[in-house]
Amino acid sequence: MNAVILNGGPGNGRGEVCRAVRDAASAEFQSRGWSVRTFDLDGLTIKPCTGCFACWLKHPGICDVKDDAEEYVKAFVASDAVVWITPVTFGGASSALKKALDRTIPSILPFFIKSHGEIHHPQRYTKRRRLLAFGTLLSADPEAESIFRNLIRRNAVNFVPLATETGIVYETEPPQAQAARVADLIKAVGIGERRPQ
Amino acid sequence: MNATPNADGRRALLLAGSPKGLKGTSYELGRFLLGRLEEGGYSTETLAASAAVRSGEASAVLLEAIQDADLVVVSFPLYVDQLPAPLVAALEVIAGHRRLLPSRKPAKIAAIVQCGFPESLQNLPAVEIMQQFAKEAGFSWAGALYMGMGGALGGRPLEKAGGMARNAVKALDRAAASLLQGRDIPAEASTLMARPLVPKWLYRFMANWGMKQEAKKHGAKKTVLARPYESAVPGARD
Repeated sequence: MNAVILNGGPGNGRGEVCRAVRDAASAEFQSRGWSVRTFDLDGLTIKPCTGCFACWLKHPGICDVKDDAEEYVKAFVASDAVVWITPVTFGGASSALKKALDRTIPSILPFFIKSHGEIHHPQRYTKRRRLLAFGTLLSADPEAESIFRNLIRRNAVNFVPLATETGIVYETEPPQAQAARVADLIKAVGIGERRPQ
Repeated sequence: MNATPNADGRRALLLAGSPKGLKGTSYELGRFLLGRLEEGGYSTETLAASAAVRSGEASAVLLEAIQDADLVVVSFPLYVDQLPAPLVAALEVIAGHRRLLPSRKPAKIAAIVQCGFPESLQNLPAVEIMQQFAKEAGFSWAGALYMGMGGALGGRPLEKAGGMARNAVKALDRAAASLLQGRDIPAEASTLMARPLVPKWLYRFMANWGMKQEAKKHGAKKTVLARPYESAVPGARD
């Protein structure tokens, strides 16, 4: 089993809590015998999706733009769990995480199907995975948190994961409390129990 | 960038949020609204978010335009349930700047969102994000217009889109009239904009047919369902 972690926090000091979540999540997966692949997005070259649809209609499944996103998409389609980590940015994802999410378009098909009573794109690949989304905030902000949780619910309709969990981690919390939130969410999404040491 | 001077003194900025820049359906919707505002006395300026985050100089131009604006209109396509990445980056720059430096004058911000899905309600998370941005960056929220079936307009100017765009035109006209009077976008304009451009079944049929035709045109008819990274999936068979 393998997990892919996308860290959308900034590479500077402001990204400290995102890195703490990344490390805690990685340790939790590894304690269950999973392999983990981490992408610190702020340090990668990922150009924006331009909506050219070449990945749908010219060379299906492969983006026209050649950069670090291709490795992530390959890892994503093979993953059993994907973890998104982002500072809650106006209730949504940071630009760093969003760049990576926008570039997952090759993993869906151009056609429209009915799903959850709405029209959506079908998945290109049959493999499904568990989705965990961690948003970080300085401190509690009910409005931003509500927008973020609603957004991830909508993302889940489009990404069709096996299970989805969303968590908020506060920068002002002690590190132990942050790690406990991560552990609780990983358990809640159905990853299973830690292996005995 | 284009700027149109006007003696009235009120300034509106269109921030085009599509990664395609100053073309496409989102841009055309914003351009139409900006045209109506210009007719009503606003001087106008247009910037592409994707260009504005490519360099420090371009970002400085964006920040200056934001500082001068009485009304900012952000028009964009829905990407993965929210704003396209370059637009998020532009908003991060704007919010960061406004946290450090107070704005010169109170400014309003409005949003226009369109998506390729038939249901206009799929845009609502993006509208919520724009509203939260307004709050965090110190703008007064002037409301939003959101529409589905954006693909049916195909990036054409609304003036050339025929009868299917009639509700969008009405919605933009009513939004402009309200904004010109210093009020927010009225609910009736949002309701009009959210109406389907064509029947849902027809849109889905035409979209699927159109995708097949485009794939055929590019020699990808037989590979459109390809799984090029399937070998990366453990135990998977093509």
